[in-house]
Amino acid sequence: MAEQSYPDPDKFQDPLENYEPRVYADDLERALAEEPVAAIHAQPFIAIAADTPVHAALEKLVGRDIASTLVVDEQQHLVGIFSDRDALDKVALEYDAVKDQPVSEVMTKNPVVVREDDSSAAALCVMAAAGYRHVPVLSADDKIVGIVSPHRVVDFLQKHFQKDD
Amino acid sequence: MGLYENMLTEPISRLALRQAITVEPELSVRDAVLRMREKKLGCVIVIDGQQKPLGMFTEAMLRIKLIESRGILDDSVQNHMARQFPLAQADDPIVTVLELMQAENHRFVCVVDQAGKIVGLTGQKGLMEYIADHFPQLVMTQRAGAKPPLTDREGA
Repeated sequence: MAEQSYPDPDKFQDPLENYEPRVYADDLERALAEEPVAAIHAQPFIAIAADTPVHAALEKLVGRDIASTLVVDEQQHLVGIFSDRDALDKVALEYDAVKDQPVSEVMTKNPVVVREDDSSAAALCVMAAAGYRHVPVLSADDKIVGIVSPHRVVDFLQKHFQKDD
Repeated sequence: MGLYENMLTEPISRLALRQAITVEPELSVRDAVLRMREKKLGCVIVIDGQQKPLGMFTEAMLRIKLIESRGILDDSVQNHMARQFPLAQADDPIVTVLELMQAENHRFVCVVDQAGKIVGLTGQKGLMEYIADHFPQLVMTQRAGAKPPLTDREGA
């Protein structure tokens, strides 16, 4: 049986001894890379049941002065999102025909989501690349954590720009 | 130079501006909605005879009006537009867009030239694309929309 050889501890070299942490051009770049989506402040958020009538969903948006609401099933799992764009595309001209239908008929199903521990850059990726304005935030076990909106992203950007001033 | 310095020095015309939907004041809300649907855009800009912007009508306003008054669809858009809305010149710095969006909580900023004529439309999407452009390796390579990372080891 071959004899096991071990490295000489006097000759051990730490593989990370030459590691240099990444240098960022500004605080925003650092925040995008290092801060999780939670740093954008995804709360509060509104969630309604999938069988909520369209008129009630619309009233909820107006009453809270928000542009979107999450839609959940009986287990409180995300099944869609109902936004101003859905109202424009599927409700505005058809209001009388759809107002009593469940919101699940006119919502955007299976929206693109980010996970709460994704980097904040992930939320911007969904907005810039996929073109979605409201991005639901889910935990690893699919529970709703919140929603990232354009207004919240603008606040996030401003906060990190101020640090550069 | 960092992103913030660039936003302070680069003009709004550097953003990927979208073509604005311009409509006459007398156009009905119904027709304005049809044009917004057709162009997949969330607002129209109401212009005068000299092509200068008079007001903005957005999907957010539509949402409120739908609840307040069911008869608006056949009314003219000028009766429901916002006369105060975010407006910037094409040679203003990009940071102006950010400031307007934050101050007025609007998604769209109408961009005009020095003569006041509409050059295009920008806002949240233009800003996000600009930022993604600055950090393509950071932003465009994200695992967005995917399943959550595995918490248990895969396989045997």
